[in-house]
Amino acid sequence: MTTAGFETASDSRVQEMQQRLTQLLDGCSSQEIPKADVCAKIARCYADLGDSPAAIAWLRRLTNAPDSFLAWNNGALLLDQLIKDGSRGLPTRKAKVWVASTYTSAQFASLLKLAGLRHGLTLDVLEGGYDQLRQDALAPGSSLYSAAPDVVVVAPHAGDLRLPEFSDDPAAAVEAELSRWTAVLSALAANGGSRIVLHNFASPPANVFGHLSQSVKGSRAAMIRHLNERLGEQQKSGVSIVDCEGLSALIGKRVWFSDRYWYAAKQAVSLEALPLLARHTASVIAAQFGLSKKCLVLDLDNTLWGGVVGEDGVNGVKIGQGDPVSEAFLAFQAYIKGLQGKGVILAVCSKNNDADAREPFAARPEMLLRVDDFAVFAANWRTKSDNLRDIAKQLNIGLDALVFVDDNPAEREVVRRLAPEVEVLTIGPDPADYLRALAECTWLETAAFTQEDADRTAQYRARNQAADLEAAAGNLEEFYQSLQMEGAIAPIDDASLARCVQLLGKTNQFNLTTRRHSESRLRAMMANPAVDHFTLTLNDRFASHGLVSLLIAEQAGADYVIDTWLMSCRVLGRTVENGLLSHVRQRAIARGCRHLIGVYAPTAKNAMVSDLYERFGFEQLGRSADEVRWGLDLSAPWPHENTYVRWRQANGLLKVSA
Amino acid sequence: MNAESDQDIRIKLLDIFEDVFGVRMAELRDELTLLDVPGFDSLKMINLMFAIEQGFQTQFAGNELAEFANVGELVAYLRDQAA
Repeated sequence: MTTAGFETASDSRVQEMQQRLTQLLDGCSSQEIPKADVCAKIARCYADLGDSPAAIAWLRRLTNAPDSFLAWNNGALLLDQLIKDGSRGLPTRKAKVWVASTYTSAQFASLLKLAGLRHGLTLDVLEGGYDQLRQDALAPGSSLYSAAPDVVVVAPHAGDLRLPEFSDDPAAAVEAELSRWTAVLSALAANGGSRIVLHNFASPPANVFGHLSQSVKGSRAAMIRHLNERLGEQQKSGVSIVDCEGLSALIGKRVWFSDRYWYAAKQAVSLEALPLLARHTASVIAAQFGLSKKCLVLDLDNTLWGGVVGEDGVNGVKIGQGDPVSEAFLAFQAYIKGLQGKGVILAVCSKNNDADAREPFAARPEMLLRVDDFAVFAANWRTKSDNLRDIAKQLNIGLDALVFVDDNPAEREVVRRLAPEVEVLTIGPDPADYLRALAECTWLETAAFTQEDADRTAQYRARNQAADLEAAAGNLEEFYQSLQMEGAIAPIDDASLARCVQLLGKTNQFNLTTRRHSESRLRAMMANPAVDHFTLTLNDRFASHGLVSLLIAEQAGADYVIDTWLMSCRVLGRTVENGLLSHVRQRAIARGCRHLIGVYAPTAKNAMVSDLYERFGFEQLGRSADEVRWGLDLSAPWPHENTYVRWRQANGLLKVSA
Repeated sequence: MNAESDQDIRIKLLDIFEDVFGVRMAELRDELTLLDVPGFDSLKMINLMFAIEQGFQTQFAGNELAEFANVGELVAYLRDQAA
């Protein structure tokens, strides 16, 4: 196509295109991650040659290269075109995002789509009018609400704040400002079922009080700090924060803020900082959808310690205080230990003899990580991609829930090629750089923090021990008995609400309908007298698993309809589901219902429960493109009581059945 | 600093226009105005300003970029900046 002297890249000169592509690929063949502008150019070549999956793969690589606004912008233009054409290779998981901003957010909105690709999301990003945030949020019939977005990104900036340079009553000034923003947030929560992501306020570098603002609570800088803290507390009302104050510090406030671009085009965040902001916003959105990575898989030699244990010997590997290399590995281990405390599962994937690999953990007291910290310890001579598949399988999580860290570029390449679902961290040759690469990768953002998260590795390790026991026990009955399970069923309460919202957001496999109810939606359901909700907590001889299953059902006349039923994969295959469904059946009978109705809505991940209702004797009532409906006659005999779990009396709606 | 020839400046600008507008143009004629570029809007204007500032290590004041009548004036400006 040629118009008025401009040749668009969709020209049919395929050969020339292929030559250009070969040139570009040759030019960067020695680089693990080519520069962002090269990635964008390669992506465009592939798109022009009709290979959209390759184009999309290169757009993803672009987002992992060092940031460049222009390359991102170029990539975002291409992505728009690919989405418009309904190209092959786009993530099937879609979400509609509304960006409600008080500044020019068009570039941010466009970059956010590209950042969504990183997390396997095809984002449809809509924007409110310039500075229409308040109007859109506060008017119930606004275009925001009629668009019914899955996520609203609220993006204000410090210029919006009605905070003076000095206040003699800073607490009151901050509370007044806070209520202006919570009015917007609660209107959003009340009017739509959307998740809310809030950019907090980056404090401008021009600060009248200077260093003294750290001591003067009434200074504007101190009040912005305090306001951000108060906004962070909104998490309990379902608002997720993107810490723009932190991001602006990370990239440098001289870069984040550009007065020239503010005056020229009302860009409150400089274009240079937008890739960073888009990437982090997408990671917070992804965490809300349960797309965060769950497990960090680590190599050992030259990744967790300096040297090769099989060659340098257990006392030769470098870890601990005293020399720069040892200290760098120590700091890296400390950070990883911190991630584990947040709920990231750790695993080892190392080419080593198993005994050699374990020895430093036992013999070197300087090591911060211990063998017990790893849910799976795979030290052998198999291909790493095979080991990663095994690790995912043992943990009952997807390959796409793994982040792989290895100092050896060849191993990273093998994994990129043979297990492309795994996210591979690119790290430089100097161990001093490892920690920063991991800290800035954004793969491990999580949406909430609960006691279950803190105990996760112990639970997964216990699961694996239970699996070993399964192998030893010979028959299943003996295995179930030997677990000594103890369970309790209770309605959702204030203490369990956060965990329930988290499970709704992230459970993929044992999830019959995958309805990602937001916290506000869940609260609305809980207030409905026709709705019952059941949580199940479980202990066994190895671990306390915490709240592992949630079921929500609603009475509709003589029908008792299961809206949501999900269970954590940690407790699969041990009859827990029988226990919960038996209780729910009793409740349906107590309500006077005649039929229990279950719905199975197939997704890419939940095939494991496609025949769940059938296994419980339900009959298929109907099938549409999106779901299968199952029904159970409540007067029929019920041979599915669970006798392996000892039920503890829990306070609440439900009396435990015999 | 080495003064860039008009030809060097044009080649660099072609790359920048491709980056910003997603379109590879055969050449940049002097009489071309920004409004002639397919897909031009106020947003692309800002992106272009950013791209030229980065590429040529210069800074436009206010709406300076929009005030150039055509590519010829822009090239002349960039040549003078580099001199």
